[in-house]
Amino acid sequence: MSTQRGGAAVRERSGASPARGVAPRSRRPGPGAYPWAMAAAIAVGVIGASLSLNGVLRGWAWLFPVIITVGAVVLAMAVLRAMRAPAVLVTLGGLTALAFILCNTFLRKESIAGFIPGPASVKQAFVLFTRAGETVYAETAPVAPNAGIVLLSCLCLGLVVVLIDTLAVPLAMPATSGLGLLAVLVVPATIKPQGAGLAGFLAAAIGFILILGCAQWFAPDSRLPQGAGRAPGQLRRSVTLGAAALIAGLLLPLAVPGFDQGTFPVGSRLNPWGTTNGLNPMITLGNNLRTPSGDGRITYATSSSTPVYLRSVTIDRFEGESWAPDDRPSSRQLGTGQIVPGHPLPEDLVREQTVIDTGQFTSPYLPVPYTPAAVNGLNGRWSWDPLTLSIRGEDVTSRNQHYTVTSVFPRITAAALSQAGTTPSRDGGLPEEFSRVPGNLPEVVRSTAASVTAGVGNNFEKALAIQRYLRSGEFTYSLQAPVQGGYDGNGLSVLADFLAQKSGYCVHFASAMAVMSRVSGIPSRIAVGYAPGHPTGNTIAVGGREPLNEFAVDARDAHAWPELYFEGLGWVPFEPTPSRGSVPGYAADAPLPPGSGSNLNEDDVPLPNPTPQPSTSALPPAPLPEAGQGSGGSGLPGAVFILAGSLFAAALLASPRLLRSGIRARRLREVRAQSAETGAVSPALAWLELQDLARDYGHAAQPSETPRAFAAGLQAAVPSAHADDAGMRAVRALTGDFERHSYGRPAADAPAGGANRLASARLGEVRSMLRQGTTWLGRLRADWFPPSLFSRGFRTASAPFRRIARGVVRAGNWLRSTWRRALRPLRREN
Amino acid sequence: MDSQHQGTTQHQFMVDAGAAPAGPASSNGHRRPAMPAAEFHASSEKILAAINKVIDGKAEAAKLALTVLLAQGHLLVEDVPGVGKTMLAKTLARSIDCGVSRIQFTPDLLPSDVTGVSIYNQSSRQFEFRKGAVFANIVIGDEINRASAKTQSALLECMEEHQVTVDGQSYKLAEPFMVVATQNPIEMEGTYPLPEAQRDRFMARISMGYPDQASEIEMLETHQAASPLAEVTPVVTADDVAAMISAVQRVYVSQAVKEYTVALGHATRNSARLRLGASPRSLLQLLRAAKATAALDGRDFVLPDDVVAVAEPVLAHRIILERKAAGAGDTPQGIIRAILAELPVSRDATADSRRG
Repeated sequence: MSTQRGGAAVRERSGASPARGVAPRSRRPGPGAYPWAMAAAIAVGVIGASLSLNGVLRGWAWLFPVIITVGAVVLAMAVLRAMRAPAVLVTLGGLTALAFILCNTFLRKESIAGFIPGPASVKQAFVLFTRAGETVYAETAPVAPNAGIVLLSCLCLGLVVVLIDTLAVPLAMPATSGLGLLAVLVVPATIKPQGAGLAGFLAAAIGFILILGCAQWFAPDSRLPQGAGRAPGQLRRSVTLGAAALIAGLLLPLAVPGFDQGTFPVGSRLNPWGTTNGLNPMITLGNNLRTPSGDGRITYATSSSTPVYLRSVTIDRFEGESWAPDDRPSSRQLGTGQIVPGHPLPEDLVREQTVIDTGQFTSPYLPVPYTPAAVNGLNGRWSWDPLTLSIRGEDVTSRNQHYTVTSVFPRITAAALSQAGTTPSRDGGLPEEFSRVPGNLPEVVRSTAASVTAGVGNNFEKALAIQRYLRSGEFTYSLQAPVQGGYDGNGLSVLADFLAQKSGYCVHFASAMAVMSRVSGIPSRIAVGYAPGHPTGNTIAVGGREPLNEFAVDARDAHAWPELYFEGLGWVPFEPTPSRGSVPGYAADAPLPPGSGSNLNEDDVPLPNPTPQPSTSALPPAPLPEAGQGSGGSGLPGAVFILAGSLFAAALLASPRLLRSGIRARRLREVRAQSAETGAVSPALAWLELQDLARDYGHAAQPSETPRAFAAGLQAAVPSAHADDAGMRAVRALTGDFERHSYGRPAADAPAGGANRLASARLGEVRSMLRQGTTWLGRLRADWFPPSLFSRGFRTASAPFRRIARGVVRAGNWLRSTWRRALRPLRREN
Repeated sequence: MDSQHQGTTQHQFMVDAGAAPAGPASSNGHRRPAMPAAEFHASSEKILAAINKVIDGKAEAAKLALTVLLAQGHLLVEDVPGVGKTMLAKTLARSIDCGVSRIQFTPDLLPSDVTGVSIYNQSSRQFEFRKGAVFANIVIGDEINRASAKTQSALLECMEEHQVTVDGQSYKLAEPFMVVATQNPIEMEGTYPLPEAQRDRFMARISMGYPDQASEIEMLETHQAASPLAEVTPVVTADDVAAMISAVQRVYVSQAVKEYTVALGHATRNSARLRLGASPRSLLQLLRAAKATAALDGRDFVLPDDVVAVAEPVLAHRIILERKAAGAGDTPQGIIRAILAELPVSRDATADSRRG
């Protein structure tokens, strides 16, 4: 009988509902175009910001996977949102789509059905991530877009998309979602020498404005009344903010040590973790030279009586905007036990042994003295290029390597060179690429080369003439001039600028000589490595031989020099850079004024020179402080890091307090602004603050409590509170205002005698009452670890679980009622 | 009349409320002007003072009786004999200057005794209608469960429709109209318990309960010589009460409170311990009682607290416990209290629109 009645009641209810459905409130408006517009805005922002990654990653091949990934994630979230899925589900859907699309793009073979991640794909992803880690660790920008690094980029950009979407839509903080775009821009800003770049920044800015516009147009912030949309002081505030940011951007670089390039946030050269001399040493060389402290210290001891140049790699292609070493992976040979150059060496050789300890120096290339014949004691797999004899790690870097190099020095004399210079280079001895003159050669290089070598006979004479020209008083050595003149870096256009400005550092001198030599018909290349450095005063005993003198080089000794090819002698180094390194004996020039360079070997003897004065061979470069080496240099940054670390820890500890006071200040400001502007305000913010305040002091409002019950409970919970205290009166007044606002007649929400102007004062009274009512421990917790802050985060996090629990309870009820209904006929029969 | 009111949307309600103070006329026909708040407060205080003078220590019951009167409902007072059920009803009736009738229900009472009967008039040679006891503003139905079901039904029909139909002719009852019925607990001898359907017509059921010690002593002292009822003089007129009722109808109910009320109803229907939850009509009456409570509290809008305050007397006599729950010693009042303790209050009208 009762079921029939229940059924009747149900029918009655369902019969009544269409009539109620007329009321506009009961029907939720559909999402409409909002998800799609927001998805498009986010995609524009993230892909636009990722454009600035060109330069961090080489070329544009990575852009297509990025677009696919971002598009897939954005689309998945938009579809879910259009289907009115709950917010948590939308975010989860975005993450799932990200996993699927990454598997489909990068791990298709390892994944189930080509897109579902399985154990094999996880393993493969781990391999790719390891490769990406090595790339990040060992190489410098722009890095080659291998699968690992592109997978990593796509993953990060996909996560950024999810982050932006979550911030902008469910959390309704579209302005904060700009952080995601900023996170993308920070990478190129800190890595690329010239900053993030205008195009990427503009695209990101456009995307951000679109996101803001979408959020404002489709979902104006529902938490606040519309009247507070545009405060009168907005323009003034934004101008003040902009001015402060500008001033900080101009002043901060002056305070940052070592910052000398670009505009502050993007041109930063502050790298506390030291620079890695990476894949393209040409790009990092200038920065290495400018570091105030010597990073990447390498020590070596050599049996050669003179300090040696340590060579990492060579540059032999002069085409293109930016020169980079050519690895020639096809012709590389594994194993460094025996290294045979690709060109014939003269019979008259001097063998030397050098023991090198690379320490913290990290690079894929191994610094060795030229010409290496064997390298022993290395960890990992290394390969060498027969043409250039550059030694590269296959799966390792030069970090913490300790090895012995056996090198051969041909006995080179000016006479031999002069003789070799007259014989024209035979075909077949050397690949054509070492003598190829780049097609886009600036005219000034050609004309300078022609004028310098005019009237000179053989190749050696030409080389000497070029070196003499570059070492003459016309040119000055300067690390800063190229930066100020805007031609820092390398390439043909830089070279043209250098020849016009006549000021630069080793990269410019070396490339000038190398290119001008090619123009003059001498095969050439640029060697990149280290100038001899300075003796440490220690000696090292190797293999029962007499102790060897130890030398040390660091980033400030980074150097580039030209190597010219002479038939029968092989590659011969020259030294066109004034005040750096030492001019080899064969290349020393009579007209050269003595003392203008720091060249050691004045006499015309062959290289293995028994002069007992190696100590002054390489003076530290002039603009650098002499004391900035060893532990003295690292002492200051250590203190800075400790200070920064403790500041960070303090900020982390104080962040709940700061966040909480920020929330309170914002609420009170809005309360005040509203009452000043319209008079009619929502006391909801004041009420929210009251609730949080009570929660901070351990009197959390229960969801089933009415505002009045909450206020009464507060009085009961605070032992020291009396009904006529100022605090309790304030609580009652706030409660009354809120009740009127929430449940009262909308039209009657008129200002109740300026009550809202008092809201902040009332909240202050409540706060002092609560403080008096708790122990010092409670006060400490409320100040530094406010529960209201954490409970909010907890509520957000636990929402899906609550939903699940509710569903389970509902299913249980349904099952029980069904069971009972099924059993009832049986019971009746009994 | 007011049921139509509840059904209208909020917007129409506001227009109504705005237009009504200008004149008594409205879309619902004749309507008295609402009583101003200050006067309302004074009148309600006077009525309550009069009742409390007669019945000691039962302020809550008195207030609830007045609430039901102002909400245009009917009151069922249920308790053991001799705790002042009839006294409460009589005092309430006497403190108002209006028509009062009292029906002592007995097993042999006939429906026509309640509603009235057509009698042949010899002189005019016509049937003429002689009004029954129900034609009064306040009808006290004493021991209603002693009458036969047929007679009970006759009264209950009047309660619902505010009119009497005899011989095809309808007679309107007086306004305001309120039935205060008393009944003994159903287990007592010679009673015909009201079925659920008829109990549902009473807005609220209260039980008087025994007075506390001090009140009882005072009662023994003051009620010795003469009946205190004799001293009760009307403090307000029937027109005043009608104006107060009109003011109660204008109390504003926000969406949040409506949602809360509906959620309460749903919770009783879904409760595993209840066989029968609150009906839509009971929710309607719950909200009307809440409006009267709010007005008595001096507010022109309803708070969830008002709903909570009247939920127990309004709902407890309508819901039916599961056999297991009854066996476990649960009472309807206890279950309603438990439901209220778990039901979240939507504090902010705007808070819900953000979800989803």
